[in-house]
Amino acid sequence: MTTEIAVPEDLWEGDTEGVITSWLVSDGAEVAQGDLVAEVMVEKAQYEIEAPLSGRLAIVKEEDEVVAKGSVIATLES
Amino acid sequence: MSTNASTATATRKLTIARAMAEATAQEMRADPRVFVMGEDVGPLGGVFGNTRGLFDEFGPDRVRDTPISETAFIGAAVGAASDGMRPIVELMFVDFFGVCMDAIYNLMAKNTYFSGGKVKVPMVLMTSTGGGYSDAGQHSQCLYGTFAHLPGMKVVVPSNAFDAKGLMTAAIRDDNPVVFMYHKALQGMGWLGTEKGATVPVPEESYSVEIGRAAVVREGHDVTLVSLGVGVHHCLRAAKALEEEGFSAEVVDLRSLVPLDRDTVRASVARTGRLIVVDEDYHSYGVSGEIIASVAEHAGCRLKAAPKRVAYPDIPIPFAPTMEQWALPNADKVVAAFHQMMRES
Repeated sequence: MTTEIAVPEDLWEGDTEGVITSWLVSDGAEVAQGDLVAEVMVEKAQYEIEAPLSGRLAIVKEEDEVVAKGSVIATLES
Repeated sequence: MSTNASTATATRKLTIARAMAEATAQEMRADPRVFVMGEDVGPLGGVFGNTRGLFDEFGPDRVRDTPISETAFIGAAVGAASDGMRPIVELMFVDFFGVCMDAIYNLMAKNTYFSGGKVKVPMVLMTSTGGGYSDAGQHSQCLYGTFAHLPGMKVVVPSNAFDAKGLMTAAIRDDNPVVFMYHKALQGMGWLGTEKGATVPVPEESYSVEIGRAAVVREGHDVTLVSLGVGVHHCLRAAKALEEEGFSAEVVDLRSLVPLDRDTVRASVARTGRLIVVDEDYHSYGVSGEIIASVAEHAGCRLKAAPKRVAYPDIPIPFAPTMEQWALPNADKVVAAFHQMMRES
């Protein structure tokens, strides 16, 4: 089963775009539900993105790429 | 656990900011004498992210936001350390050292000596260095040489998160004052320019990296590139470019300026016969000159070419992006320095 990891709609206030500053796991790594996987920066504030469930992670949006709320940044194969 | 090599067994990666916070949290759990003081280190988690999560876990008594008076809170930390506590204080930008240098180099660095060893000053002064994001001449300097020049304190400069966690743990446990200088471009904060190579796998368990040991982070036999902090990443990129031209570059990450691991540098240059030092601190009277002198004055020194340095020009750091980028060391400049060296020899 493939699950998308999207930027949560309520991660920050307003509709400002953000940028992925760091992936904290490697592409193709096995992650557990709740693991911190990425950081997104919006106007000098950093927000954390966690794995919604366990599985093998495939990165869709690389570091330094611009993301909006709802953007799919990775997929999980479980 | 003490180690000098990065292990890639874990899949979890950390930024240097997170690695510093994790080491600090682990030491605070283990030792009630450890506490943190500085500007915006509390609920904000540090402007460079390196105290994130500490306030929530340990509260306002052990993670203390201070007024904007570096003289007062660094002086207070020296007193606390001399009285048995183990403070970690943050000088937000190293450029601000001017107002608090008496507390740093006349008190922190010298009290152990002045007391004949009766007073220990086990504190960590962490401070951000470096530019590249147009923050101008009072927020972009490295000043490695300034601090390493003055006796009485250890000075460390990590280039990646594995070393940052291990060096932070070692610094907190050290009975001497340790200046922990972290480059802003390595923190994983987007607006400061993110160097991806600094975010590496980091073990969750506590470990230390010995202060005073350099690391050969890439082996080679044609030239030794010596650097620290973000410069290590410039060197690794330069080494890749040189490899495509058929040259093999060795890269030495100093990791610690005091004590300085001259043996590792000399041993590497003994193998390659060529030396280029890369430093974002000012060209003159600094780290680059010290490394070259350490090699040249050694009796066993046999250089195939005159050594070179790629360092910051002796000018105030420009605000204008094109001017700042012109002045900063980068991989292209390292490659150019090697080409010139080969033409001259």
